[in-house]
Amino acid sequence: MASKSGTISTYSPLFSRKNPNFTNGVRSDGRHFHECRLAFLRTGAVNAASGSAYAEFGNTKVIVSVFGPRESKKAMMYSDTGRLNCSVSFTTFSTPIRGQGSEHKEFSSMLHKALEGAIMLETFPKTTVDVFALVLESGGSELPVIISCASLALADAGIAMFDLVTSVSVSCFKDDLVIDPVFEEESCQDGSLMIVCMPLRNEVTQLTVTGEWSTPKVHEAMDLCLGACSKLGDIMRLCLKEAASTLQ
Amino acid sequence: MGLSLGEKNYIKGGIADDLRCDGRRRLDYRSIAIDTGVIPQANGSARVRMGSTDVIASVKAELGKPSSYRHDCGKVSIFVDCSPTAAPMFEGRGGDELSTELSVALERCLLGGKSGSGAGIDLSSLKIVEGKMCWDLYIDGLVISSDGNLLDALGIAIKAALSNTGIPKVEAMPGTSAEEEPEIDISDDEFTRLDSSKVPIIVTLTKVGRHYVVDATIEEESQMSSAVSMSVNRQGDVCGLTKRGGAGLDPSIIIDMVSVAKHLSQQLIATVDSEIYAAEARESSA
Repeated sequence: MASKSGTISTYSPLFSRKNPNFTNGVRSDGRHFHECRLAFLRTGAVNAASGSAYAEFGNTKVIVSVFGPRESKKAMMYSDTGRLNCSVSFTTFSTPIRGQGSEHKEFSSMLHKALEGAIMLETFPKTTVDVFALVLESGGSELPVIISCASLALADAGIAMFDLVTSVSVSCFKDDLVIDPVFEEESCQDGSLMIVCMPLRNEVTQLTVTGEWSTPKVHEAMDLCLGACSKLGDIMRLCLKEAASTLQ
Repeated sequence: MGLSLGEKNYIKGGIADDLRCDGRRRLDYRSIAIDTGVIPQANGSARVRMGSTDVIASVKAELGKPSSYRHDCGKVSIFVDCSPTAAPMFEGRGGDELSTELSVALERCLLGGKSGSGAGIDLSSLKIVEGKMCWDLYIDGLVISSDGNLLDALGIAIKAALSNTGIPKVEAMPGTSAEEEPEIDISDDEFTRLDSSKVPIIVTLTKVGRHYVVDATIEEESQMSSAVSMSVNRQGDVCGLTKRGGAGLDPSIIIDMVSVAKHLSQQLIATVDSEIYAAEARESSA
């Protein structure tokens, strides 16, 4: 025992809102403002699923598995287009403070909206495709990573899509735009913009903006995101090609 | 929405010819009627009617504890409830999906970024004792009747309800030690008005066919491919943006939509401001 006289008390850990200090245009993890985190992508992470993918962007680690197309639940009415069911959950240990580990409703509906425009639902009538995403570690920009990883898993499952869906977000700090923000940057950002797009078709399937943005800044951020999206699309395509060539 | 092929074509054809079913042009709004102070139990409330769309927003202020990472600010949360009176499918949990979508969109459009930039409500004005006590604003939206464009109507109702909101004056006696809870005295008849002039307005552009319309009715919404909702403040800055509908949009169309919404919002803010002013004048004279 270190001290007998003093009372022993516990402290809850302090999560302070430090402003990220950008010195000479370099961020806390050594990246430049317009530089994305290193990405690691791999398909076929889960054996039981029809398709699955694992993505690692810095500390953000996500696993997505796709089941189906399989028969829709009996309670569902007849539909001549397929159904897409998306669910996003976080593990209890994914965040600094232990979380609930339950389904994240907002992300689930965002994932659904991001993907439904890209999938050819008419190719599997009367059936449902389930997309389950699990965030193993949350290190910032989870939703874009989930979306990109989910489209990779869908491609791995052989679900017909118009194009791969890629997503990138930027954070805004006064005049600076910072792409692919990490957790610390996201918690003190002035605003954020997330684009979900199909790079080859040059179509935006989802777009969200928070915080105050002037019109020229929206343009700048959109251009930045679209550029990064198309690069990410190339990487994802490469990953799929590699997986296909090892199979042969 | 059960529409025949003929009706669908009529709606689409009308929008393409810039003459919609109710005689409006593509960028015309329905007339907006605002009543304030409709719920006496709330700190502020408003009812907004646009055509047959009918929504109520109420603001309740309760004492709370500031969150650990923003100890000098109050908290605001927005909930939307879709009443089964609006549509039979909202019964039970049927309205949950729409309610969540609207709540999330409103929070994104009205409450600004994480650091508080672009927020419609100045959270530091809700502070009572730093780190100890603050006002928590609970904004509740209720959809009574739904005829399209719910998000814009709820946005206007919330803006009107906030300008109608009076926060009771609070006298705080500082506690003797840092751990002690401060004693407070809430005034019954003295109120401070909430500044709602910075609350942005939401403009939704609904894309039907090759064109987009504002203030879509429920029939028009059933034919949409996608819709972009933007909140714009008095300075013309975008404070939030969400997209509905799965269909993809070309980036250049989105940029075009942003500039159209920005232009429309300035007229709409002026209309809404004068309507709120008239409603408050009616309320105080009644």
